[in-house]
Amino acid sequence: MNRLIFIILFFTLSMRPVENERIITRQGQVSFFSYTSVENIKAENNQVLSIVDLQKGTIAVSMLMNSFIFEKALMKEHFNESYIESDVYPKATFEGNIVDFDPSDKNDQTRMIRGTFTMHGVSKELEIKTKIERKGKNYILSGTFEALVKHYNIKIPPLLAGNIADSISVNFRFEYGPYEK
Amino acid sequence: MDRMKNRKQIFLVFLVFMISFGSFAQSDLLEILDKEHSDSIRYTSATFKMTRIAIGHSTETRKKGILEVFSANRFWNTGADNSQSFFADKVSARIALEYGLSDRLSFGFGGTTFDGLFDGYLKYKLMRQRSGKNVSPFNITFLQASSYNSNSFRRIYGEATRSSDKRMSFTSQLLISKKFSSKFSVQLAPTFIHRGVVLSNEDPKNHFALGFGARYKLGNHLSLVSEYYYNANKLQSFDTYNPFVLGVNWEQGDVMLQFMLTNTRNMVEDTFITATRNNFNFRNPNLNFGFNATYVIHFKRGLKKKSK
Repeated sequence: MNRLIFIILFFTLSMRPVENERIITRQGQVSFFSYTSVENIKAENNQVLSIVDLQKGTIAVSMLMNSFIFEKALMKEHFNESYIESDVYPKATFEGNIVDFDPSDKNDQTRMIRGTFTMHGVSKELEIKTKIERKGKNYILSGTFEALVKHYNIKIPPLLAGNIADSISVNFRFEYGPYEK
Repeated sequence: MDRMKNRKQIFLVFLVFMISFGSFAQSDLLEILDKEHSDSIRYTSATFKMTRIAIGHSTETRKKGILEVFSANRFWNTGADNSQSFFADKVSARIALEYGLSDRLSFGFGGTTFDGLFDGYLKYKLMRQRSGKNVSPFNITFLQASSYNSNSFRRIYGEATRSSDKRMSFTSQLLISKKFSSKFSVQLAPTFIHRGVVLSNEDPKNHFALGFGARYKLGNHLSLVSEYYYNANKLQSFDTYNPFVLGVNWEQGDVMLQFMLTNTRNMVEDTFITATRNNFNFRNPNLNFGFNATYVIHFKRGLKKKSK
């Protein structure tokens, strides 16, 4: 009986993913653009966190909304206080799976990432085409997607409707290294 | 037999534990990221949106490279019965330019039509409210303002003197504010004022005052504001009242507007705190309508410089 327990224990422990099968980035880049005839708005966040479990093909992204830097300093205040309400909703998160991800493939791959994006208290299912580059133990994930302002319950006052686009294009680039606690 | 049974139970518990552990691993990626976030310092932004709550300064300073074109107007009626004006008998305007030298230090200067004051100030953000690692519960900003009375001395004193130290007044304020929630912010402002213009020998030259200010957000772009200044040692030669304001702040991108009802006509700290001659009520000469408009110009574009 004892032996059986040990065999099972050994078996289950060896099945669990070891630490270095996770990769993380703490300086992920997310930027968004709003193009209208009146005004172009651009913002960048270079402190986005993301972690990938290579074995399971799962990915999580988390970013603080008040880490976005804008061209105009006052825009950052407006963005945090009047639009995204970062006091109430400080973070935007994404959780999903990389569809058909093959961790053993040493070449670049283009895969769909399917998951839930949560921002301003609203969760949306997203499918994002992502380029996955591999350099030894490091991975780079990059891609772009469109987010509709009205989907996330963000209200734009009528006077400023011409300044902010209905659809915001979001770019991301994450350079991962091995995760160590 | 009993021992055997015990072992079987332990084994089962162990098995269940392992299985459940495996399923937890699905969602713990976000938890790992949450732990990483908890190390970061989070600054509270926009305790007040504008550099003024209504009449007095707020703890906010403009960021580096931002120029504010500021115009403040007060409209009021005289007590005269035969007033012929459509809306207001009198108007006073203060035009000012304010500029952010760094993210913490800003300065401004302006002129007021009604009382002939030219004023300037330096404002420095000493502490910013923040959460996370290294908590700080308050915003603290120091304001040093001075004003120059350009009225002719004959009008002020009834005689001509040449000494210019009688024209200068100084105000020092420690502005302490806290954003309690995304909607509600409060400010306290211990104030010291030295007045140069003294009409009577019984009047104190130095005044101590305490300012109270608050903002409540009605919507994403609209907020209700109020301010009150308690003056501890008032002027003796004529009746003065403590200034009170009730107002609405409305901001639209680069344009910020403030509408207010107040009992003070003056717009510079050393005068509206110490020399407000009306009480706050709806009787005719007392209530003033105030309107401030701020236009913000960015001379420094954050991202462009970064990408170089």
